[in-house]
Amino acid sequence: MTTYEELRQRALSAPGGWQAVESPSRPRVAVYFGTCSIAAGAGDTLAALRSEVEQRRLDVDIGIAGCNGLCYAEPLVEVAWPGSRRILYGKLTADKVSRLVEEALAGDGLCPDLALASLPPVGESPPAKGDAGVDGVPPIGSLPFWAPQVRRLMANCGVIDPENIDHYVARGGYSGLARALTMAPEEITKEISDSTLRGRSGSDFPTGRKWDFLRGATREPKYLVCNADEGDPGAWVNRMLMEGNPHAILEGLAIGARATGASHGFVYVREEYPLCFERLNKAIDQARERGFFGQNILGSDLSFDAHVVRGAGSYVCGEESGLIASIEEMRGMPKIRPPYPAQSGVFGQPTNVNNVETYADAALVLGHGLEWYTSLGTERNKSTKIFSLSGDVQRVGVMEVPLGYPMDKLIFEAGGGLPEGRTLKAIQPGGPLAGILPAEHVGLPLEPEAFREKGVQMGGGGLVVIDDSACIVDLSTYFGWFVEDESCGRCTTCHGGTQRLVEILRRWTRGEGRESDFENIKLLGNTLLYSNCVHGQAAPTVALNTLTFFEDEVREHVFEKRCRAKVCKGLIRYQVSQQRPELADAEAICPTQAVVKKNDGYEIDQSLCIKCNACREVAPQAIEVVDAFA
Amino acid sequence: MLDTEATLEIKHLIADLKPGEGDLLAALHRLQEHYGYVPPVAIPVVAEHLKLGTARVYGTVSFYSELRLTPPPETTISWCSGPACCLKGSENVRLILEAVLGVKMGESTEDNRLGLHLAQCNGTCDLAPVVWINGRALGRLSAADAVRLARELSPKANPPPAGKDGRSPS
Repeated sequence: MTTYEELRQRALSAPGGWQAVESPSRPRVAVYFGTCSIAAGAGDTLAALRSEVEQRRLDVDIGIAGCNGLCYAEPLVEVAWPGSRRILYGKLTADKVSRLVEEALAGDGLCPDLALASLPPVGESPPAKGDAGVDGVPPIGSLPFWAPQVRRLMANCGVIDPENIDHYVARGGYSGLARALTMAPEEITKEISDSTLRGRSGSDFPTGRKWDFLRGATREPKYLVCNADEGDPGAWVNRMLMEGNPHAILEGLAIGARATGASHGFVYVREEYPLCFERLNKAIDQARERGFFGQNILGSDLSFDAHVVRGAGSYVCGEESGLIASIEEMRGMPKIRPPYPAQSGVFGQPTNVNNVETYADAALVLGHGLEWYTSLGTERNKSTKIFSLSGDVQRVGVMEVPLGYPMDKLIFEAGGGLPEGRTLKAIQPGGPLAGILPAEHVGLPLEPEAFREKGVQMGGGGLVVIDDSACIVDLSTYFGWFVEDESCGRCTTCHGGTQRLVEILRRWTRGEGRESDFENIKLLGNTLLYSNCVHGQAAPTVALNTLTFFEDEVREHVFEKRCRAKVCKGLIRYQVSQQRPELADAEAICPTQAVVKKNDGYEIDQSLCIKCNACREVAPQAIEVVDAFA
Repeated sequence: MLDTEATLEIKHLIADLKPGEGDLLAALHRLQEHYGYVPPVAIPVVAEHLKLGTARVYGTVSFYSELRLTPPPETTISWCSGPACCLKGSENVRLILEAVLGVKMGESTEDNRLGLHLAQCNGTCDLAPVVWINGRALGRLSAADAVRLARELSPKANPPPAGKDGRSPS
């Protein structure tokens, strides 16, 4: 039998493992490697680094880490020197690699122009604003995007190699599981309940109570499901954890197994996250190999294993009964509840479903204890939550803040506010089913109750910022289209209701609104509540919020056939405002040959124009957008 | 069922998967990785192997948007349908791709050289609006970038007037 302490010592002393990160004996370069950094070119950066270092025969370690959430500065590369000087370089595309190697690795060890921030020694929290930093490079804590963050769930993101279990264990990982194994199952669920932890996917259901349901179920085997089908567009909170700190999720699952008596876990990862699939599979193999998964875990009577199921592209599989159907080799269509999963889940067996972040939080509760966990947050919502910030905002990325943190500070301070010259119009939190908030509510504290009061859900952590160049009717149509397109089709209420809803919205974008539409949308909203699952029930939320918060703009569309943002294609027209030489470029760029030269100059053939804006990009002073019905 | 070379290969690919363990999606992924799509001839083979009805297997393939029953085009342009992309002009990008390439979202050209695929958001929102060309991201596309990209990928469709604007997107 191997004890946790023995495993930890082994992880700390593993050759080439954690030591090389914590106290490097030679320079170490880590490329932050995740889905978004790869899209930004991190793969090319890594390849260029390897070949450059090899060519110059430098004595340097090259490794990877998960992303740390600064998406706006990707690709990110960290250079650590013996003596714990760590510098983070931003926007480090492959073309800058030779300069970095020349100056930061072969030279005196610093490339100030490309440096984004200095990082604290591993294991220490970053110094705050005002601190000197290292060699004139400001500390990461002084970056506005980092300043408000408290990193608990993401403590390892951008620090450890997510594909190396030794890194996680060396940082104290799996100590929560070791502790859980000394506790009775009901003690664990009580501790989870006392922590205030509730479903972080947006369900907001008390996790401890859910675990109690499964513990109380008498039929065996029992299953745990990890919902890693983060389908809400604009949310990549769970992806950050799976890619940067995958063992935290596995640890939460094993703790859940101890608390509930479950013997097997299914981690259901959406098709769009292939790197998560790969890293979780590796993590499970390593957890098994070390004895954190498998028979008689750490010498206890707990036996638990898990495997990863790869989805195939379906939004409703994020609904727990749809997800279960998908695991059961069926079309991923949600089922009518009850029975709830605790009674009849995967293959009819008692099952508990939580999402990625919830399991990772459970590992924090057990690993650090209640006092630590509840020392942050609000009265009802303790500790932290991860949010992804995107849309019309200066700095796009992922951050972890205490629950209850004011949303306006997150958007305007951390995110840097809106693009130059724009004002805030709305915020779309938590995916297409959660609703849309007007700018006046931007000061809400980030906790579920505050959002619910306004008829909106906070959801899983996506925050899409919307500026005044967007049209609310266009957006409402967009979200309406999404829920209609992703309706599974099982219940007529949902698939018919969402179709009728999006038909009305589409008519508004064409100037074909009717007085009766307002009542009909409310009627659809009430009818959709009778859908089988939350997909249909929540489908009209955005449209109903639009009527509540943006009535003037909707009425303009319906009664004046006018789109103030000049976005709705049916309500606008492109025309030549001034004969200028750059109209030749407009003619050349037009994808449909709609910009035509006649005897007395250029004009736009309205029968050919698709209103794609390409001409106006190349000839902004010669082409204007006007109301089609003026 | 009488085995052919094709069915034998399919059986071999999924030989280690077992009935009743939730392996259907894994089997379909494996076939799609091997062939680029799920060959229709595989449906009864998978059904027999996993002891499921053929309708159940076909129903599963047709339900999920990332499984396909026909060979993929040589070049797939995946267009991100997410909200950040939407705010940054992805609808214009879509209109342009469809107009220049002459295919609608979800379709391929007749020679199957090029196809447009509706992709879901994966959180690369800093690059919005983004498309992926056979998996490689191309982000922050302006409408003009989209026109140039589409023309580059489809040189025969809708050529620009002689001597004009053939630059690549940045």
